[in-house]
Amino acid sequence: MINTKISNNRRGGMKNPIIKKYLFYIMLFCILPGIFVLFSTVVLWSSEQGVASRVKKITTKIEKTTQVETSIPLPKNSVKVMVEYQGGTFFTEARKIEIKRFKCSSCHNNQKVLIKNAADISHADIRIVHGDKDNLLTCNTCHNPDDRDFLISSKAYKIDMDHAYDMCGQCHFRQKKDWIGGAHGKRVTYWAGERVVKNCTSCHDPHSPKFEKKWPETYSVPLK
Amino acid sequence: MDSDKKKINRRTFLKGAASVAIAGSATATIGCKGKGLLNSSEAFALEFQEYFKKHYRLMTKSERTKTVTRLEKLAKLKQDSIINIETTEPGQNVLYGYAFNVTRCEGFMECVQACVKENNLDRRSNTQYIRIFEMENGQMSPDQGDGKYFHMVPNEGHFYMGVQCFQCDNPPCVKACPTKATWQEPDGIVVIDYDWCIGCRYCMAACPYWGRRFNWNQPEVPKEELNKKQHYLSNRKRVRGMMEKCTFCIQRSRKGKLTACAEACPTGARVFGNLLDPDSEIRFVLENKKVYRLKEDLGTDPKFWYFID
Repeated sequence: MINTKISNNRRGGMKNPIIKKYLFYIMLFCILPGIFVLFSTVVLWSSEQGVASRVKKITTKIEKTTQVETSIPLPKNSVKVMVEYQGGTFFTEARKIEIKRFKCSSCHNNQKVLIKNAADISHADIRIVHGDKDNLLTCNTCHNPDDRDFLISSKAYKIDMDHAYDMCGQCHFRQKKDWIGGAHGKRVTYWAGERVVKNCTSCHDPHSPKFEKKWPETYSVPLK
Repeated sequence: MDSDKKKINRRTFLKGAASVAIAGSATATIGCKGKGLLNSSEAFALEFQEYFKKHYRLMTKSERTKTVTRLEKLAKLKQDSIINIETTEPGQNVLYGYAFNVTRCEGFMECVQACVKENNLDRRSNTQYIRIFEMENGQMSPDQGDGKYFHMVPNEGHFYMGVQCFQCDNPPCVKACPTKATWQEPDGIVVIDYDWCIGCRYCMAACPYWGRRFNWNQPEVPKEELNKKQHYLSNRKRVRGMMEKCTFCIQRSRKGKLTACAEACPTGARVFGNLLDPDSEIRFVLENKKVYRLKEDLGTDPKFWYFID
């Protein structure tokens, strides 16, 4: 009896009883999807933040020469690489000019050599630490025995010494791929302008390519 | 006669006392500014004008040139060194990014040495912007690594991780600065106007990467080792009580050069370039390599990635 009285009172107090009837459906079809949409946009928006994702969307090419105001000269001893990277042609450091006794054919030409001079002009100082421990490379793995000024690929193609990356890339193809893209090796002095990178032989000694152990250049003082 | 004498005496005494007091206080004030100043009134005038210059970002182009010529003159008069301070503007379409190859780094620390020389860092307290941590294989955070190793490198079973200012895209240090002495340039580099820094070191506390350095003493650089190519926001003269930090060698990078550390690296572990250029090396690394950043969960968004081969 009391219960009905109260419920009667309530019904009488309610100004718009129809809304109450549909409240459940309103919540189900309007408010809940609304909240869902809001949350998903927030999640999507926040996942798009960050330099990496923002930057990756930028694909418009930039002129190599317009990134900085200063004009950047092409180094003298650079040669055009025979493969292209993602941005077109690029250059690498020349090798032949670095070799002290190039051309090789000036000695390797079947001329007679005095025995007393032989020690000075031989390559006795070269130690090969390249290849498997049990199966080291030999001179003629890379050097062309028929044309001494050139290297020779495994398929007997002549390779110019300036384009040593072609030689190295036969085994070290992963490093070559990274080198072309820019994850291995480094650029010469400038990040802008024409792309000039170090050649394989600029950093690695081809006869013993691994970096040797040495003392660090400096030291750091303790933080605390 | 007697009273007359007494009167004169008192007057002369007061006059003398006053003049002595003025002269004494004048020498005291000037003496604090350094003995060399009185010898050259030009240096004194320039030093005086230095107090009234504006914040770097509020200066017009002509004001910047004036300030720079003043600083160059001061260096000539006081240190007797001919320097060249630049105010090169950031380039259009440039956002600097850096990648560090943890597989390639051998811990030779040539980058650290090059950085110290390039940025005129204090030799007395051994300030260094870069720190190389020797970490055992499998370790992830430089907290666990050894930052003060000194032995033949590379050490077996270890790898090396270089840490410096990461030029965050959402830099907490900038928010912490109460005087707006530090800010982010349009090309992404966080810089400091040394003359507006009050040395409160809030930024140092705010940086989660230990990327900022404080000058506890007057920085000392041997005159013959001074790098004369300077930038107003980077490697110009700092004094005691100022913050400083890595600026990606703004004096080099804004002219298209690699940073000193990247150029000095003998192993090619350091990749520096323009993030907005889709052909750049740094973009190649981001798209083709496994990259990670330090303390990425903090939301500081560093523009410095570590990658493995």
